[in-house]
Amino acid sequence: MNPNLLLLLYVVPMVIGLLFMTSIGASMGRSLSSRYEWMNIERRRHMFGLNLVLLVGFAISVHTAWIGNKISEGASVCASASLFSCDDVIGNPLYNTDPFFGIPWGMLGMITFAGLLFLSNSVSREPDALWAEQHVNFGFYITSAGLAVIALLISYEIEMEKICQYCTTAHAANIVALFGFWKVRKMHEAGTWNDDLTESVASN
Amino acid sequence: MKQDTEADVRTDTAIKIGALFFIALIVLAFTTDPIATGTREGDRAPPLEGMMYNGSGWSAFDLNDYLTPSWVDNDSSAPWVVVEFMDTDCPYCVRAAEEMGQFSNYFMKYQGEDGTPPSSTNPPAWRGPLVNFIASATQLDIKGHDTSRDEIEGFRDKTGGESCASTSCSERPGTIHQFPYIDDIDQENMDAWRVGGTPEYFILQPDGIVAWVASQHDETLSDALFRLTEELVE
Repeated sequence: MNPNLLLLLYVVPMVIGLLFMTSIGASMGRSLSSRYEWMNIERRRHMFGLNLVLLVGFAISVHTAWIGNKISEGASVCASASLFSCDDVIGNPLYNTDPFFGIPWGMLGMITFAGLLFLSNSVSREPDALWAEQHVNFGFYITSAGLAVIALLISYEIEMEKICQYCTTAHAANIVALFGFWKVRKMHEAGTWNDDLTESVASN
Repeated sequence: MKQDTEADVRTDTAIKIGALFFIALIVLAFTTDPIATGTREGDRAPPLEGMMYNGSGWSAFDLNDYLTPSWVDNDSSAPWVVVEFMDTDCPYCVRAAEEMGQFSNYFMKYQGEDGTPPSSTNPPAWRGPLVNFIASATQLDIKGHDTSRDEIEGFRDKTGGESCASTSCSERPGTIHQFPYIDDIDQENMDAWRVGGTPEYFILQPDGIVAWVASQHDETLSDALFRLTEELVE
């Protein structure tokens, strides 16, 4: 299967997740509310979108780790003479591991997104818990720190004059998740966190 | 009965996410067989790039151009690779130059002292797979070591007025080398290959896997090549 076509399997759900976190998500939620009642509630809709984006980030990190392993075996997964060639980026041993522990970036992505999924999922399931705000803050800080990692990886790509489209999608997932955690904090502050309140606002 | 339900949610979520992570690891473990990149035997050789001198001029070099990623064990048609890390001012490298010339001419299937290519009337003596020799010329951080591209050319071709380890490069032992020399004066390749001193030799399988590292054995380069390619000799 064409690796760029395969990428759509990640991009499409990520965009859907992003839309659920924006005002467009409200109209999407309304049209789906007859089947899924919880879609009327902004917080639930938002957390669904955030969980979806983080799941995509985790899945694409697994795929990136898999590509890295395959390339080390000598296989060619997504090599291309064009600018977009993930084989050249993931397969470059000078840049394909983190500079401190030597962990492949794909594996690091798996660990990070799994951690974020735990934070986001636990908040979704117990939004009024005392630790919920703390989890949201952790998520916000981790995804913010991810920006520095993304900048480092982009600098590698500039140096190699190649772009890894799979890595870029994982970067995008981190940025969308950062937006998601930021918005959750805002919702907390604005008092739109409570189910009943949100429902009554929605019905007005 | 009092219960800490908040803790339950976190534990339950952690178990579920942990299970998801574990499944991902299982998938990776069962569908891939990764090979580490490095310079230990069995590792995939790191990149080797730079500008090379082949006797006629300087051009871009990439080790990948010499490799056959799809190589299988019994395929004798794919060339093997010998990588030598050397310094033109290293006396041990100068001394080894004669043997390197002999080995390279033999395993690269050249004929005679001058490196004449083989022909139908003058077939190569070596009946095993072709072995490409490559030298990566660095400049060690030792007082008196001062390499340049002119010196690399002089070392390879035995020409010019450059000095190699305190003697004229044109007077180094052995014949002119037929294999390319890479400019690694900045030690970039040497660092990537974790070479501690020169000369150091690596034998790479056609697929780029490190098959032999000189510093880990007592046998000579030629003996190692004979041993490793024993089953591929026609």
